[in-house]
Amino acid sequence: MSPEVWAYSESEAVSNEVASAAADVAKMSSADVVVVEIGANRSGVKAPGTKLLLKGPAGPEVSPEVAAEAIARAAKQRRPAAILIGATRNGREIGARLAAKLMFGCLSEVSRVASDGTTLSGERNAFAGKVVAKVECALPAVATVKVGYYPATGSSPQGESEVDVGAVQALVSVVGRDKKAVGAVDLKSAKVIVAAGRGVKRKEDLPMLEDLAKDMHGALGCSRPLSSDLGWLPEEHHIGLTGVSVKPDLYLAIGISGQLQHTAGMKDSKVVAAINTDKDAPIFQASDYGIVGDLYQLVPAIKRALAARR
Amino acid sequence: MKIAVCVKNAVDETELKIDSGGKPVLTGAVTRMSAFDKNAVEEGLRLKAAHQGEVVIFTVGPPESKKTMKEALAMGADRGVLVAGDPTAIDTMRTASMLSAAIKKSGPFDVVLCSEGSSDAYSGQVPPMLGEMMGTAFVSYARRIVVDGQTARVERSLEDSVEVVEAPLPLTASVVSEINEPRYPTLIQIMQAGKKPIEELNGDQLSPAGGYRQASTAAMSAQHSARKHIMIEGSLDEAAVKLVDALTKEGVLSK
Repeated sequence: MSPEVWAYSESEAVSNEVASAAADVAKMSSADVVVVEIGANRSGVKAPGTKLLLKGPAGPEVSPEVAAEAIARAAKQRRPAAILIGATRNGREIGARLAAKLMFGCLSEVSRVASDGTTLSGERNAFAGKVVAKVECALPAVATVKVGYYPATGSSPQGESEVDVGAVQALVSVVGRDKKAVGAVDLKSAKVIVAAGRGVKRKEDLPMLEDLAKDMHGALGCSRPLSSDLGWLPEEHHIGLTGVSVKPDLYLAIGISGQLQHTAGMKDSKVVAAINTDKDAPIFQASDYGIVGDLYQLVPAIKRALAARR
Repeated sequence: MKIAVCVKNAVDETELKIDSGGKPVLTGAVTRMSAFDKNAVEEGLRLKAAHQGEVVIFTVGPPESKKTMKEALAMGADRGVLVAGDPTAIDTMRTASMLSAAIKKSGPFDVVLCSEGSSDAYSGQVPPMLGEMMGTAFVSYARRIVVDGQTARVERSLEDSVEVVEAPLPLTASVVSEINEPRYPTLIQIMQAGKKPIEELNGDQLSPAGGYRQASTAAMSAQHSARKHIMIEGSLDEAAVKLVDALTKEGVLSK
């Protein structure tokens, strides 16, 4: 029997990305791709291989605690060579729990996942994106796969099988869920992002930047101080290591100093432009175009230049 | 209420040097308390303020880690436990296993807190591994923790939603930085921190190594930045027009 590479994400969309990663790894190591479903099959989940339904827990919506226990029980029966999990926040919990339950090594938030049949490897950012690290672990291993890196697979499943993992008792129970105000900002799909930093003096000045974002058909983001410390914008506007990672066509950083914690979340942008009063601000090292100047004068000037262009 | 808070003496990524070969210089690198760990310490102190009890800081690392321990003690924690082990053999599983052994030895604790990930490696693996090894309920990415009797109600900050969960004590949890604003220790607190007890444990004796396949870092290289670094000069309006022209030529401005 060929070794198996498993793919799972609690998110349907991410599941299809992880399946692509698993297909890559399987091809390199002559393994089979197995896309894991828990409790029930989801019609939106594609599989460039077989689907494996874990019966026992009521699904498909399960907590990370239940998902990890169900996958661990199935893995003890079927002994996959590698288990790939989508690196969402829930997925990162699932991956690390699985590693501890199975005594496997674990790679976190990796891209370029590869295997030679004896080890699993991948690339990840370290030191807030200052360094790229190649990490590896002997098989069997767990890895969480960076979200947004792999294209979603389009293949439909080539067969299905089931494994009964039994009922899973959970200590943590979900009692409610509030959707964050989505629609207000969708930074992941924005082509242009105008991002505000501590150079903005008052909350009342943010509409000026929001207007500029609108003029550019873009969205407004911010660095951590504006959301986490000052609370001027909701947390989902926060771009950076612990916030959202974005890769728009244009990233316009306004009054952002450019600490690594911030640039970790925007360094994959196609073109970066920055405005800052400090000519030595690190953001200019992370930019294609820079202007040293006062945002309160430059933003209106850019708005005029944009209007003149039409 | 007995509260354990885990902190890491992490490499300060802002001070990290890259050598001429494009490799990070980790030997002798400047270290400091991992940025988000301050939020975990703060949350521990807030829980103590609400429920009385004790806050004990745990860290795994070389003797240098004591300075991070002292910083947490200066913020108001009561005492510390430093777990030493062979640093070359320490990965996330090993860290979690040494922490859990030390916490169990010094416990029992009602609440064990970590930050969601360290500011240097940011793998975020240790908190869930620790939760598994403690055998307690575990909740990740907490942005609010309220303990009532023997139950904790926790808000989890997820990508597109806030999830509310309930879990019995003892609880292990990882917190996000939005949970609170960490306090700054006063000069007096910093001086007093030196007198607070720090127990030193041998991690290799506490929890023998081995039993699993370690993940390791095979290579590291500086992130390649292919940015153009063009500084635009001129009067206000000239600079603005030049920028808009450049961005138009790049094809990144929609019509």
